Amino acid sequence: LLCASGDFVKMYSVATEETLRVMGGHADLVTGIQLNPHNHMQLYSSSLDGTIKLWDFMDGIPIKTFTVGSKLLALYALPSSEDSVFVVIPKSGERDTFQLVSVKLTKAAGQDLEAKELSVVLDGVNASPKYIAFGREGEYVASVKEVDLQVYFFKQKQLNRFCVSAVKTKSGNNQFTCIACHPTEDCIATGHADGKIRIWRNFYHKKEYTYSTLHWHHDTVMDVAFSVEGTSLLSGGVESVLVLWHNESDCQKDFLPRLGSPIEYISMASDGTLCCTLHTDNRITIINSNLRFARSIQGLIKSANVKTGLVVDPRTKALVLNGEPGHLQFYCLQSDQQLFSLDIVQRQYIHQAGLNQADLVKVAFSAQGKWLATVEEREDVTDPELQLKLWFYDEEIQSFKLNTSINMPHEDQITDMCFRDMDELEDDSLILVTTGRDCMFKVWVMVEDADPDAQHIVSWSCDFIGSYHNYQPTNCCFSEDGSVLAVSFEETVTVWDSVTWDLKCTFCHPPGKIRKICFGRLTCSKYLIGASDDGFLCCWNLLSCALEWSAYLNVVVLQPDPLSEHIAAVSWLSKESSLFVFKPNEPRPIYIQRNLCREKIQLAAFVPRDEPETIGSEKYLWLRRSQLFFLTDTQELMTLSTKSLQERLTPASKQLAVEESLPVTPFSLLLGKHRRQQSQEDIDFGKLFVHNKCEQDSPAIKELLHTPAHVLPSASFLCPIFINSLLISKENKSAEEVADEVEMESEKTEDDSDEERDVTEMEQEDTSPQELLGETTCKLSKSQEKELRKIRKIDYSWISAF
Amino acid sequence: AMAAALCAFSPRDCRFFAISGPDGRLRVWETASSRLQQEYVPSAHLSAACTCLAWAPPGGRPPPSKDGPQRKKRKSEVAEVDKQLDILAIGTAVGSVLLYSTVKGELQSKLYGGHDNKVNCVRWHQDNCCLYSCSDDKHIVEWNTQTCKVKCKWKGDNSSVTSLCISPDGKMLLSAGRTIKLWDLETKEVYRHFTGHATSVSSLMFTTVKPMNENKPFDGITGLYFLSGAIHDRLLSVWYIRSDRKEKNAVMSFTVTDEPTFIDLTVSEVKEEPVKLAVVCRDGQLRLFEHILNGYCKKPLTSNCTIQIATPGNDGDSTPKPVPILAAAFCSDKQSLLLVYGNLLQPIIEKVALNTSESHICLIRDVQKALSLRTDVAVTKVKTPVVNSDTKVLVPGVPGHSTAVKTPSSGKEKKKNKRKPGETEVNIEERLEALDIDVSKVKTPGGLPQTDSFAVLLVQGLESNDAEILNRVLNTRKENVIKNTVARMPIHAVIPLLHEVGKTAFLVLASLMVRWLKSVFTLHASYLSTLPDLIPQLGMLYQLMESRVKTLQKLSRLHGRLFILVTQVSSN
Repeated sequence: LLCASGDFVKMYSVATEETLRVMGGHADLVTGIQLNPHNHMQLYSSSLDGTIKLWDFMDGIPIKTFTVGSKLLALYALPSSEDSVFVVIPKSGERDTFQLVSVKLTKAAGQDLEAKELSVVLDGVNASPKYIAFGREGEYVASVKEVDLQVYFFKQKQLNRFCVSAVKTKSGNNQFTCIACHPTEDCIATGHADGKIRIWRNFYHKKEYTYSTLHWHHDTVMDVAFSVEGTSLLSGGVESVLVLWHNESDCQKDFLPRLGSPIEYISMASDGTLCCTLHTDNRITIINSNLRFARSIQGLIKSANVKTGLVVDPRTKALVLNGEPGHLQFYCLQSDQQLFSLDIVQRQYIHQAGLNQADLVKVAFSAQGKWLATVEEREDVTDPELQLKLWFYDEEIQSFKLNTSINMPHEDQITDMCFRDMDELEDDSLILVTTGRDCMFKVWVMVEDADPDAQHIVSWSCDFIGSYHNYQPTNCCFSEDGSVLAVSFEETVTVWDSVTWDLKCTFCHPPGKIRKICFGRLTCSKYLIGASDDGFLCCWNLLSCALEWSAYLNVVVLQPDPLSEHIAAVSWLSKESSLFVFKPNEPRPIYIQRNLCREKIQLAAFVPRDEPETIGSEKYLWLRRSQLFFLTDTQELMTLSTKSLQERLTPASKQLAVEESLPVTPFSLLLGKHRRQQSQEDIDFGKLFVHNKCEQDSPAIKELLHTPAHVLPSASFLCPIFINSLLISKENKSAEEVADEVEMESEKTEDDSDEERDVTEMEQEDTSPQELLGETTCKLSKSQEKELRKIRKIDYSWISAF
Repeated sequence: AMAAALCAFSPRDCRFFAISGPDGRLRVWETASSRLQQEYVPSAHLSAACTCLAWAPPGGRPPPSKDGPQRKKRKSEVAEVDKQLDILAIGTAVGSVLLYSTVKGELQSKLYGGHDNKVNCVRWHQDNCCLYSCSDDKHIVEWNTQTCKVKCKWKGDNSSVTSLCISPDGKMLLSAGRTIKLWDLETKEVYRHFTGHATSVSSLMFTTVKPMNENKPFDGITGLYFLSGAIHDRLLSVWYIRSDRKEKNAVMSFTVTDEPTFIDLTVSEVKEEPVKLAVVCRDGQLRLFEHILNGYCKKPLTSNCTIQIATPGNDGDSTPKPVPILAAAFCSDKQSLLLVYGNLLQPIIEKVALNTSESHICLIRDVQKALSLRTDVAVTKVKTPVVNSDTKVLVPGVPGHSTAVKTPSSGKEKKKNKRKPGETEVNIEERLEALDIDVSKVKTPGGLPQTDSFAVLLVQGLESNDAEILNRVLNTRKENVIKNTVARMPIHAVIPLLHEVGKTAFLVLASLMVRWLKSVFTLHASYLSTLPDLIPQLGMLYQLMESRVKTLQKLSRLHGRLFILVTQVSSN
C-alpha cells in the first residue's frame, strides 16, 4: 500500500502494517501518487514543489524527475495516454482557479528533465483530487465543481456541462463533493454534500442524460469508489460507515460500521481483493473484499486540540495525549506507532457536527504509573460538566481500573492537575492537586475505607481546599522532594507546605500574569522558575525567598527534564520558535536553537531514554538522559536529534540484504520459463532487426571489409564514413521507431528486474501493490525529525535584562 | 525437548516476541502492548515443524552498491528500527531453514540442501550476513544468506549437534552436542574442547565480551566466560576459556530446580558489574541470579530470587493455580524484566521491575480476565479500562468531595492530617459499656415509649453508632416529637447528632433532616456559639447545605421547563 504523507511517499505492508519504505525527495507536500499504468513496479508522484517523480518503489529509487514549474495539486495517469500524465495546476494570473492540464513527459535520457509541454484539458476545476475522474479507458474526463458537472470527451473533443439546481432540495446543499467513473461502462457516480449519491448515464447527450439517486448518508459523502469490476460502489462519510451499494440499487447495500472516525478517501486495490479507507484521525483501514475489517495503519491521532498536553506514561514510556474524542492514545516513540488507546469517557461518540460531547482535558500519572488521573469535560454554555476520575493500574488483570470518580470536582473548568511525585513505597503519601477556575485549588488524598470485610480498600477524597485572595489559580506543581507545593494565582506564585498546607511564601513579578511554573531538580531543587505573560522568565530562590535572576523571554513552553537539572524553554517571537535550555542555578543558557520551526510550539515533553546515550558534542550533553519532543500547532511531533544526518542514515541503509530465493514450484517454473522465453524472443527480434538494417544500408562497411588492406586510405579518412554508416539514415527513421527503441529498452530493464526477482511471480501477484489515489491534502504528522545541524554561536543578548 | 528455542525476543529493544506454537504457526507479538502483530503459517508447517528461531542481529552489513548516490535524503528513524529486526530465521524438522521477513510479513527465502535432518539451532553472525545452523545429521552449516547457498559444511560432532553460539568478536563458534567445541571460523578447526555435560547441550551463551583481567593483551577469545545448559540437567555450567590447552571442568555452576527452558542474561562489560541471569525452568518458574564472575567456585550457586505467577483464586471455591512463565528477557536498561506467561497461543507480556532484595516473589495475575480485556484490542487497539460497580463516586456534598475553605488568613489552627476517619471511633469495649448503661436507662421508665424515650434512644444510638436505632429516631416525621427530643437530649450529644444528620442527609430525604436541624439550631444555638471549634465541627454540614442550595437554581429551571412541557402536552 502506497500513501502520500507530508513530503514523503510511504510504502506499507498490508500484511503487517509495518512501514516498508519511505521515499523522500520532494521538497514540499506530495499531492498525488499514481502507479505507472505501463509498469506496475513504478510510481508517479506529484508535489507542490512543481515536480513529478517516477519511482521504482520496490527499491525506493527515484528514476526520473520531471520539473513542471507550477504547483501541482493532483495527478492522474492513464493507460491510454502513453507519454503524458494529467495534473491540476493553478491558473496563472487568477487566484483560486485551477485547470487540468496534460503534461508530456519526454523520454530523453537523464534523471532530471524538464516537462514544459502543457496542454489545457479542462478549465475551472477543483483543486482536490477527489473532484476529477477519468472514465472508461480514458475516453472522457469528468470534473465537478460546486453544482456543475463537466464531462469532456477526448475523441470527439466535446464538452458537456450538467448542473444540479442548488435550490431544489430543502437542505439547499447539493453541491458535488466527489466523483468516480465506472471502470467499464459509461457511468459516473457523484457524491453530494447533502448525503446523496447520483449515478449519471447517457451523458454524451446534452439533454437526454439520466441520473438515479442513492441516499443513505445523512451528511456529506466524502468519497465514492467503484469496485474493480464496476458491479458495486463504495461510499463513506462522516458517519464513519463504509457503505457498499450493489448493482447501483438503493435497496441492496451492505455496511461496515464503527470505523472510528470520518472516512476521507476510499481506494480499491487493482486486483479487487482489498480496499482501504483513509480517516480523518490519521489512520488507514484495510478492508477485505467481503467487507471485513483486516488491518489498520495508525499514525499519531490528530485531535482538534491537544488539551491534555504531552504526558509520559512511566510504565510503558509511551507518550500520552488526546486521541479520538474521549480516548487517550498511548504512542510509542521508539517504534513510532500507537500502542493502544484507552477509552476513558466510555460513552458512544456521535459523529455529528454541533454536538458538545465529553472529552478529556487533563491527564496526570503518578511517578510509577500506578495511578492515572483524568479530567473529562463537556462544555456547555451555562455550566460545564466535569468529572475527575482516578484509575488504578491493576497488575492482576493488566489494566486500569476505575477507583474513584468525582463529579464536579470544581465548579468551573480545571486549569491544572499534578501528582506529588514521590517514590511510592509508602502508598498513602500520594497527593493529587487540582486547580480550578472557581478560584480554588483542591488537594486530594487517598483514604482507607472502613470496610466490614477488613479489606484495605482505598479511595480518594478531598483533604484541603486552598485559595488566595479569590484569584484564579492557573498552574500547580510540586517540588522534587514533594515537601512544597507551588500554585500560581494570576500574578502571584504561592508556595504551600504540603504537610500542614500553610502558605509559606509568595513570589510575584508584576504586571505579568504567570503562565508557567516549575521547580528545579536535583542540585537545583531550591529554585522555582516562572514564566510570565509579559515576557519575563524569573527564577526565585526558595531558601532566601528572593528573586535570583530574571530574563526577558516570551516563554510559551517551560519543561523540566525529570532526570537532570535542565529546563527547556520555548519562546515565540516574531513568528519563529526558539529553544533555550538552561540550568536554574545559572542565568545563562546551555543551549540555544533559534528558529526551531515556523509553527508555534504548543507543548513539549522530555522522554527518558532507556539507556543514556553517548554524546560526543558538548552542546548536546543535556540530551543524554532524555529526549525532547515538541508538538506544534499543526500537530506535528518533532524531536531534536543529536546525530548528524549522515550518522542517522547509515544504520538505515545497513539493512540485511537477503536475496529472495524461494524454491521453485512446478507451476511457477512453467510460468517463469514461458515469460523468460518470450522476453528473450522480443529482445532477439529487436536486435536482429537493427542488425539487418545496418547491413543492408551500409555499402561503406562492405567496402571497408572487402577491400584489401594495402589499397585502403588512411584510417582517419575511413573513420567518418564508418561512423556515418552506423547511423540510421534519416528517411527510413521515423519518430515511431525511436519510440520503439526506447520502449524496447524499458522492456529490457523490466525483464532484468523480472529475472532478478527470480521466479517469485506467483508470490508477487498475491500481494500486488495497491495504491492510494491522491491522498494529498492529508498531512500526516509523523514524528518528523528536524535537522538541527547548524548551530549558531551562543547568543547571550537575550539575557540583556540580567 | 527443544521447547526452549521455540521463542525469541527481537534483539536490542525486545520490541517483538516471536513464538512458534504447537500448531506450527509462527506468531509475532508486540511486547509493549502484548498485541498479536502477525501470524505466519509456513506452507509445510505440519510436516516440517519449526524447531528453532533466531532474529537477525541489529545493524548488519553495509548497503549493496546498487543503492548508489540517489539514496533518500531524509529518513525517519521509523524505517531504521523496522529494518533492523527484519528477518527471522526458522529451522525446521526436515533440515531446511526459512528466512521470514517480519516487516513484509512474507517468506523471504528458503535455505535448503544443507541438512538432511532436524535443524537444532540457528545463529546469525553479527557482522556479515552469514547464518550458522546445526542439525541432528551431525553437521554444522555456514550459509550465505545473500545467495542462499551453503558456504561451508563440516562435521561438528559424532552425534547430533544441538546448540551453537558465536563469540563476541565473531571469529569463533561454539558448538555443542554432548561435548562443547570451540571452532575457529576461518579454518574450521577445533580450537578447544570442553567436556562435562552428560546430556546434550540445549543452550550456549557468552557471558562476557572482554576478559576480566585487563592487563593481558586480548586476542578476542581468551579469558572469556560462557554458559551452557543441557536437557534434563539442573545445573547451568560456566566455562572459562584459558590461554593454555589444559582442558578443565566448568569453573562454576548455577543450580535450578528444574530443567532450564529459556535463558537470558545481561553481558557484563565492566569487571565489577555482576552478570544477571534469568532462567525460566520447565516448572514455569523464573530464577534470577546475580554474580560477579571471578574464577573458580566449587559450590553450585543458588538463585537470588525466584519469580512465579499464580491466579488470584479468591472468588468462591477456586484455588490459586500457577501460571507458567514461558520466557523472560532483560530490558535494555538491565533494571527491568519482560515476562511472557500464560499459554503458548495467547501469552501475556509484562514488564516487571527487577527487585532481587526479596528471595521469592509471587505475582498474582488474573490471566483469564486479562485475556478477555484484550480480545478487542487485536482489531482496533482500543482498550477499555475496567469500571466496576464498587467504584467510589463523589458528588458535591458527599463527605470527601470538599472540605472547608481555608484562606491563608484563617489558616492558623491546623490539625494534623487525618487520613483515616475511622481512627476516632470508640473501641468495642467502650461501646459495650455505653450500651449497658443505656440499656439500663431505657428500662427504667418502663411502659410505652414516649418523647422522653426518644431522646434516650437517640443518645444511645449516637453513642453506639447503631444505624438501626438512629434510623428509627431520625425518620420521625412529627415535628412536635422532634422538638421535644431535641429539647430533652443532653447537650454533649448535640454535635454528634449534627454529624449524624449530615451523614444521613444523603441516604434519606433531606427534607426530614431539615426539621432536625431547625430544632437543633433554635434550641441549642447558645450552646453551639460557645464552642471554640465550631467551624471545623460544622464544616461538613455547611458544605452539604451549600452544595444543595447551589443546585436549587438548576432544579427550579428544570422544574419550570418540565412544567411547561407537561402543561403543553396535556393541553394538546
